[in-house]
Amino acid sequence: VVALSTDVLVIGGGATGAGVAWDAALRGLDVVLVDRRDLAEGTSGRFHGLLHSGGRYAVKDPRAAEECIAENRILRRVAADCIEDTGGFFVTTPYDDPEYADRFARGCADTGVDCEEISAATALREEPRLHPGISRAFRVPDANIDVWKTVWALSHGAQQRGARILPYHEITAVHREGDEVTGARARDARTGEDIEISARVTVNAAGAWAGRVADLAGIEGVRVLPGRGIMIAMNHRLVNTVINRCQMPTDGDILVPIRTVSVIGTTDQHTEDPDDHTVDQHEVDQMLDDGEKLVPGFRSARALRVWTGVRPLFEDAKESDTETRDVTRAHALLDHQQRDGVRGFVTITGGKLTTFRLMAQETVDAVCRHLGDSRPCSTDSEPLPGSESGQSYHLGERLARKEAHLADEQVICECELVGRTTLQETITRTGSTNLDDIRRQLRLGMGPCQGGFCIYRATGILHELDGISAPDADASLLSFLQERWKGVWPVLYGDQLRQARLDDWIFQGVLDVEHLPK
Amino acid sequence: MRRRELHFDAVVIGAGTAGLVAGARLAQVGAKVCVVAKGIGSTHLAPATIDVLGYAPDRVTEPAAALERLIAERPDHPYALIGIDAVASSLEWLRQTVAAGPLPGYAYVGDLAANLLTPSAVGALRPSAMVPETMAAGDSGRLRRVCIVGTPALRDFHPQLCAANLQLAGIDARAVSLDLKLERADMNALGIARRFDDATWRAQFCAELSLALRAEEHVGLPAMLGIRDPHGVVTDLEQRLGRRVFEIPTLPPSVPGMRLYEILRAALRAAGGRLVLGAGVVSAAREGGRLTSVSAQAAGADAVYVAPWFVLAAGSYSSGAIELDSRWASHDRVLGLALRGLPGDGEPRFTRDYLAEQPLSRAGIAVDGEQRAEDVDNVLVAGAALPGAVPWREHSGEGIALASGFKAAAVVAHELSGSEVAA
Repeated sequence: VVALSTDVLVIGGGATGAGVAWDAALRGLDVVLVDRRDLAEGTSGRFHGLLHSGGRYAVKDPRAAEECIAENRILRRVAADCIEDTGGFFVTTPYDDPEYADRFARGCADTGVDCEEISAATALREEPRLHPGISRAFRVPDANIDVWKTVWALSHGAQQRGARILPYHEITAVHREGDEVTGARARDARTGEDIEISARVTVNAAGAWAGRVADLAGIEGVRVLPGRGIMIAMNHRLVNTVINRCQMPTDGDILVPIRTVSVIGTTDQHTEDPDDHTVDQHEVDQMLDDGEKLVPGFRSARALRVWTGVRPLFEDAKESDTETRDVTRAHALLDHQQRDGVRGFVTITGGKLTTFRLMAQETVDAVCRHLGDSRPCSTDSEPLPGSESGQSYHLGERLARKEAHLADEQVICECELVGRTTLQETITRTGSTNLDDIRRQLRLGMGPCQGGFCIYRATGILHELDGISAPDADASLLSFLQERWKGVWPVLYGDQLRQARLDDWIFQGVLDVEHLPK
Repeated sequence: MRRRELHFDAVVIGAGTAGLVAGARLAQVGAKVCVVAKGIGSTHLAPATIDVLGYAPDRVTEPAAALERLIAERPDHPYALIGIDAVASSLEWLRQTVAAGPLPGYAYVGDLAANLLTPSAVGALRPSAMVPETMAAGDSGRLRRVCIVGTPALRDFHPQLCAANLQLAGIDARAVSLDLKLERADMNALGIARRFDDATWRAQFCAELSLALRAEEHVGLPAMLGIRDPHGVVTDLEQRLGRRVFEIPTLPPSVPGMRLYEILRAALRAAGGRLVLGAGVVSAAREGGRLTSVSAQAAGADAVYVAPWFVLAAGSYSSGAIELDSRWASHDRVLGLALRGLPGDGEPRFTRDYLAEQPLSRAGIAVDGEQRAEDVDNVLVAGAALPGAVPWREHSGEGIALASGFKAAAVVAHELSGSEVAA
């Protein structure tokens, strides 16, 4: 049995957990982070990509609005490379209560969210596909944030400062010695080996799964209510500015341009199981209808993919409302020494991606209290690896890099402009034999053809480079195809169905992957 | 807008295998025929092997026998309409057409008696009734030792993975990767095929490759062995290397598919037929139960194609000829004909399992037992638009396209023979 010893064990490799690892590492603490799967594979990797200005919460939840705008400003500095400064609009469509706009403007003023009213004509000039019947429009500093890039940067930064990041390590036991948590046992999902990690403080950053980890520690009553929402990526930047409907937050009222797509979201369904990724047909239909209200013609645009994410909503014991949108979106930091008299254990859950840094800061503050060692946080000023220049990401970046090497580097994934060298480096660096992990690293196979062309190529390269057996390479290819299909079929119509049929012909007709030798 | 009216005995819509075969056959029997198409069809995407029936659902070794069973079990399958005789005749016609075609010496081999099993780019063994002769030496029945050769410049072919899977299938296979020193990092199969057409380049290639070869090994290369003279290229390679050489189809663009397109186009033209590309059908006129004309895009003004007979071979969902809209309704976008084989209201169109049969897969244009569209008397349907098959799973697409195009032409020719055109 491998044994590790550390100051801080972080359970959960989403934005919050990776943020805690980065924050703690910056404060000079030794960190081990584990996740049962790949980093950002849970809730973090399954959201729409909106870096909130706070406008969405300006009326309903002023404190959240204040947190969002503060974090928005900080992240634009320290995580510039992960953020595209698209700006955002709140627009009053003919379907919205016209009274809300004034309340919205007041709410923004009260919470410090930068907000400028512009004429409907200006909004339509900047975003010509918007509903022409909009009556009012406000400009806010919404943006998009690439969550994978953010989580990799956080984990690389932490690693550079000595943190050990262990994806595919699932916690099987949390160790208690009396009223103290002393560490945990994790199983390496790839080798089946157990490792023992002893830690001075254990941070439960398992998000929607935090209740289960708390159970393992023998802590009672940590209930996280998973709220499942769907998002649909459309194959174009239907808009280049984040568009919000100017109304009380509801379903399907946000359209976020990110990378080469635009993402509409979201819905909100109570679910018992955070691993439940069911997509209901009526939710898809509702989302497409909502899209029409923002951008007429939405239904004739090409839908690429649908996915679900689960919000980790910490349940207030006094309420038992299953309408999850009304449960607090604020984050919950549980210091179990104060709450349960258990030392060495802290739970952070709830919250939203935009405020992950603040959540991490408060968490590591609590960790320091447990350690009796007050060290200041510096994540609000220390740029993440890759963001040192302070230059924010722009859409043409990959193309510009590719154009510089047109003649001497092969493009493996044309949709996302992933070059052969980059792919080979990533395979070698991560040692991964899982094409889906590589997808999250590089966006390989995430474009319009959904892997139709690049996945055979990537499998061939993986096999050559990694020395994995043909059956393993074949299995990786097949599981990638299945994984892609999962998000494709519920929104398969129009031109995307043409694409899917071409992919069927390539994989089943030309390559005959269904009948590979076993 | 001025409208150009053009009159024909028959108008074929679609320039894939089905449309080109129907057009060429009609022209050969003396009909005045025009093939109009939005663009080139699926030939450039497909391996150009004639897969009549590969899986039913187990791997088919004897397609003739398996076809008889399929026809008995599935009266709604396209092959049940076409009939096994027309399938056999169409294969024979293709063999002759290729032999008489513009590529000197190029030939198709195989028949309905037994499927050939040739390697795919990933190293699976694909069952085909007929294959280009350039692929024939890859038939696993005769393949003992093989060296799979690729080049890093072709990202669409990975020799090691292909060889490793062939080994699992019991073939003594290994891989060699040759740096062809092409000036660009990215070359597709067509670009390299043009190099192979050049005898000097080919000689250099052979000199380099022969150093890497072992005794009694066949050589498998991605399907890129010449576009103008593949027979000459493969013959030359075999002489220089002193062994059998074969092609392995891979990702689009398909070089053997382009060859097949050229052959079928030449057959159509040689018999006096016309081919108009860039002519997507925009509207259709009906009178009673008959289609009287279609209008297609053309430079300047739409052209109106008037004919007593039409063959619809514009493909299915993959070409966009049939569309599933965002409210989950399907339409024939070309002629607005009724469809068949659609999942019912509220029933799923697809399933969660990628490799399973999808409920929407067998949808197509509703036809009678002679491939006639159910709601229009003078429209024959051919190719992927026929309902009842899952061609990419059955490995039946090229067979259905070839035979249904052939059969549709026969039906139209028969009808025309009653009027002024003699068959």
